[in-house]
Parts: sequence; C-alpha cells; structure tokens
Amino acid sequence: MRLLIVEDDPSLGDALTTGLRQLGYVVDWFRDGAKADAALSDAPYDAVVLDLGLPGADGMVWLARWRARELSLPVLVLTARDRVEDRIAGLDAGADDYLVKPITIDELAARLRAMVRRSAGRSQAVWTHGALEYDPAAKIVRWKGARVELTGFELALLETLLKHPERVLSKALLQEKLYDWSGTEPESNAIEVHIHHLRRKIDPSIVRTVRGVGYSLGAETAPT
Amino acid sequence: MTLSPRSLQGRLLWLSLGLVVGVWLATAAWTWFDVRHELDELLDGHLAQAAALLVVQQAGELEEEDHAVDAPTLHRYAPKVAFQVFHEGQLALRSANAPVDPMVGSDATFLTGFRTVQIDSVDWRVFAARGADRDVQVYVGEQLSSRAAILWAVLRSMLWPMVIALPLLALALAWSVHRGVAPLRRLGLVLSSRQPQVLVPVVVDDAPPEMLPMIDALNGLFVRIGELMESERRFTADAAHELRTPISAIRMQAQVAQGEADEALRRHALAATIEGCDRATRLVEQLLTLSRLEAGAAAAGQPIDLGAVIRSVASDLAPQAIQKQQTIEVDADEPARVRGDALLMAVLARNLIDNAIRYSPARGTVQVTLASHRDRIRLTIDDSGPGMSDADLARLGERFFRVIGSGQGGSGLGWSIVRRIAAVHRATVEVGRSTSLGGLCVTVDWPLDA
Repeated sequence: MRLLIVEDDPSLGDALTTGLRQLGYVVDWFRDGAKADAALSDAPYDAVVLDLGLPGADGMVWLARWRARELSLPVLVLTARDRVEDRIAGLDAGADDYLVKPITIDELAARLRAMVRRSAGRSQAVWTHGALEYDPAAKIVRWKGARVELTGFELALLETLLKHPERVLSKALLQEKLYDWSGTEPESNAIEVHIHHLRRKIDPSIVRTVRGVGYSLGAETAPT
Repeated sequence: MTLSPRSLQGRLLWLSLGLVVGVWLATAAWTWFDVRHELDELLDGHLAQAAALLVVQQAGELEEEDHAVDAPTLHRYAPKVAFQVFHEGQLALRSANAPVDPMVGSDATFLTGFRTVQIDSVDWRVFAARGADRDVQVYVGEQLSSRAAILWAVLRSMLWPMVIALPLLALALAWSVHRGVAPLRRLGLVLSSRQPQVLVPVVVDDAPPEMLPMIDALNGLFVRIGELMESERRFTADAAHELRTPISAIRMQAQVAQGEADEALRRHALAATIEGCDRATRLVEQLLTLSRLEAGAAAAGQPIDLGAVIRSVASDLAPQAIQKQQTIEVDADEPARVRGDALLMAVLARNLIDNAIRYSPARGTVQVTLASHRDRIRLTIDDSGPGMSDADLARLGERFFRVIGSGQGGSGLGWSIVRRIAAVHRATVEVGRSTSLGGLCVTVDWPLDA
C-alpha cells in the first residue's frame, strides 16, 4: 500500500513515516498541502493521512479541494482538534475517518487497512481468492491452507494485485506502488523478479501475464 | 437572632441597650441628687418656719414648766418631727417624741441655725432659734431617716415607670435591630443559596445605600474570578491541544525505536524521542508564562538595567549562534534603566534573539542594539534570515501562528509572549524588514517617563 502523509510537525511526520514503513507500507511524507497536492497527481496512492493544522492553507481546505475535484482517494484526518464540531466538519467535508492525536501507529494502520478494504469493495478482513487467503493485518498468506512466506516486496505486490482483481496493472504502475521516492531507484526488472518469486512460492497461476500490458491476478483456483 | 456580642445584631443591641441603661442610670443618679438637695432645702425651710412660729407663739405664754405637748398627728410625715422650747434655760415645752435634753448632740454652743446631730445614735436634722427678747431657745428637729423615706418615696414614683419600660425597650430594640439588619441577612441568604460556580452578579432588593459599595465590590470580584477561570480554562484547552502533536510524535518515535532492527535508525528514533520531550517541555514553559501574563499580573515596578539583561541573554544564546556559524553582534553597553520585571524582560529578549538565531541561515548575522533616546529606550534586533511576507507580518502574535517553510520546530507562542510582556510594560513592538541585514527587524520601544 502506498500512503501519502501530510504533516507539518517534523518529529511526528518522521515517526509516522518510519513507523508505517516498518509495518511494510510505502510512504511519502510532505509538510504542506501544496506539495502533497502536487504529489497526488504524480503517484498512485492508496490512502492519505492528512493533518489539519498545516502552514499556508489549512488541511480542511485541501480536503475540500480534492473532493471537489472528485478525487475519491480514502482520506484519514489526523489532528489535534478534538471538538465535536471539528469532527463533524471534517467527516462532512469528505474525510473517511477522523482521528485525534495522540494515537498509536498500530491503530492508524488498522484504520487505514479498513478504509482501503472498504474502498476496494471488500468487507472481509481476510481476503480470499480461491485457494489463496491473505490477511493484510497479520501479513499472512495461505495457499490451500498452508502458510507461504513472502518478502516485503512480494507481499506488497500480491496485495496490490489482490486489491484490483479485475484490472491489469502495468509494470510502471506496480513499480510506483511498490517504491516511494525516498529510497533508491529499483532495478528495471525488479517487478519481473518479484512476479517470478510469487509464482514459485505460491502457484504459477497466481499471476497472469498480459503481454504488452502488464499483470493481473490469476483466475481463482478451487481451494481443494 | 443571635445575642452574642460578636454578631452584628448582638453588637447593635448591646451597644444601644448599654447606652440607654447608662443614660437612664445617670439620669436617675442626677435626679436623686437633685431631688435630695431640693427636699433638704424644702424640709429645712419647714423646720425653720416651725421654729419661727414656736418662737413667736411662745413669746407670750411661758409661765408653766416643762409642758410636754402631744402634738396631734396631722400628716403622715409628722411623727418624726420634734420640738423643744427652753425659757431662761429651762425646758418649757416639748413635743412628745422630743428628748428632755436640748437637741444639740455633742455641741453645747449650738444656739442658732441648722445642724445635723446624733442623739442616742440616731441622726437628726435640728434647727435652733432664739427669741429676740426674753431668753427663749427653740429647737426643732426631724429624724434624717424620715427624710430618706420621703426621698425614696418621691424617687420611686418618678423612676419605677422607667424600670418597667426598660425590658420593653430592650425588646423593642432587639426587634428593630433584627429588622434593620434584614438586608444583610438577605444578602447572606442569597449568597449561601448559590451554587459555588455561579458567578452571575448578585442582586439584593432594596439594598440600603451602605451595602451598595459592598455589593458592587462583590460583583466586581465575581467578574474577575470569572475572567480568571475563563483564562485558566483557555490555557488548559490550549495546552492540551498544543501538546497532542509533540506527545504523539514522542510516542511514535519510541514505538519506531522499539520495532527497529537497524541500529542507526533506532538511534535516530531514540534521539527524536528525546528531542520531542525537550520540545514539549519548552512548550509547557511557554504556556505557563503566557497564562501567568494573561492572568493580568501587573509588572512589578522595579528599576532594572536593560543593558545588563540583554547582555546576559545574548551571552546565554551565543553558543547556539556559534553552532550555526553565525555572527552575533551585541551593542548594549550604555546603561538603560526602565521600570519592570527583570525576569519578564529576559524572557522577551530571549524569545526575540532566539528567533533571530533560528530563522537566520548558517553563517548569517544577528545584530542586537540597545539605544537610549531622550524619550524612549529602543531595542533593535536585526537578522539576516528570510524575513517575513507582509501577510505573515500581520498574523504575528496570533496565538499559535507559525511561519511556514522555515523548518523550525517552534511552538508559535513566542510572539504572543513577546507582545504580552511588552504590553504589560507599556512598551511597543514593531516588526519590519531589516535595512541593514535584509532579514527581519524587530524594535521594542520603552517610553521613558519625562
């Protein structure tokens, strides 16, 4: 999952970024709304964590703008403003969740997962696809009941594929989902390598190659 | 109603009652003396008249010896008066209750006038008179105890109504005091029946003029307490709000450190945790300072040497500037005396100079100048930082406003504190562009009383 954090406090932003990365998320952090807005059009984020007390334009202003532009990305507001009126205003302005500081990273991650799950049309916590079971919270993958060990990147790749079961995702898109702008540039065939590993560890049918277009989730296999 | 002398009603009652009784006793005593005096004169006059009558009457009929006369009792006071008539030294006539010896007591030379004598250990008032021709000596006397009886009877009839009246008066006084103090009692009732947190002004119907200043002062106190409570509530709310983010950061950094396997990242997270705690501490200090200032504490009016304060603060902050390889110039050698609170002045100077150092880049310059003019003392702080846009300049002093893009972890309270301290000392703060260094220029003017 690729996340966009908008938080002006250096210490908190740093903590959020590092903490979420520890949990396996791909994170970009910006300290004001304008830069975050620019990034939104550059990368395929799965969710946004938005602080309200931003320098320049307030977070609520950005939220309103994004929703007016029909940006349907899940947005979780994380703020110190705790009054009921503020909560109502935030939710009515288009936030999918409204959290008051301080919170733990684990809770934040769980709420992000719930948000993303709902936006993907899923209702169950454990994602099933035929014989494949994926628990995004515990990061456990089971194939026909047996546990499969995957690396961080492989997990992220599988999750991305599972999130859009009907779509064909291009290599470039997959790359953007898996890598943020903080680390080093990935190898040009990194995606193929990860796909290969997935097929080897789970099942060759788990990923379907569409020549010239990209990859998609394979057809469901009966969970015998 | 309480009768204790310590209560207001008790005091009023006992005071007025005491006064009345005192006056009454004084009047009674004076009356006693006066009546007794007049009575003495009156009865003396009667004695003299009786003696004169006897002298005149007996002048012609003094042949028999020792004629004891039984004077008829014509009046209720009569039995106690006695008389003797001596003719040529012999007792010629006397009343039945008179002794045989002359009523002269121990003084044989008593021949005329009034004397008070003791006869058989009884006090008598005796009037002696002599006839003009013939050797007639008359003594008329009366027992003093009869005088005392008369005096007592007269006084009794005069004073016993007042004795009856005294308890009635006491009751009436008690009732009127009780009624008179009613507004006070009502106020007490109104106040005691209030909820403790209710600070609405007190209204007492028909409050007497003497109570109005007290009620006004009370209501003024309520208003001040309300403002104090409001400012405390605001402080608590602000503190809670402002501390959320730093505390959240601290916790998260600590959690990151817990879960981080990489040693360098772990150390970074722990360092960030510590820094977060420092930030929170600084913030709490600033909030406390601000709340104390807003509680309206007037600046203590001590004369202080601004130059010394500035120099001290600058030297405290110099290491920070040196770390950023900045040049910090301080020109505050002239003595500059103003009235105020030295501690608050130091906080103001520290906030301004600290800001200048923070917002100036590495290898930048900060100039601190203290100048005495005729009508004011001016502190100028110039820095070579990026300065501020006009829009931002206008928003300075808003409670938690922070300039964007500066990358600084300030709390935004510094400016509120600076403005508040300046206001308390009747100094003015101006912020603008620095002509000498291109960054921000802050001037604080303390007006000098002529």
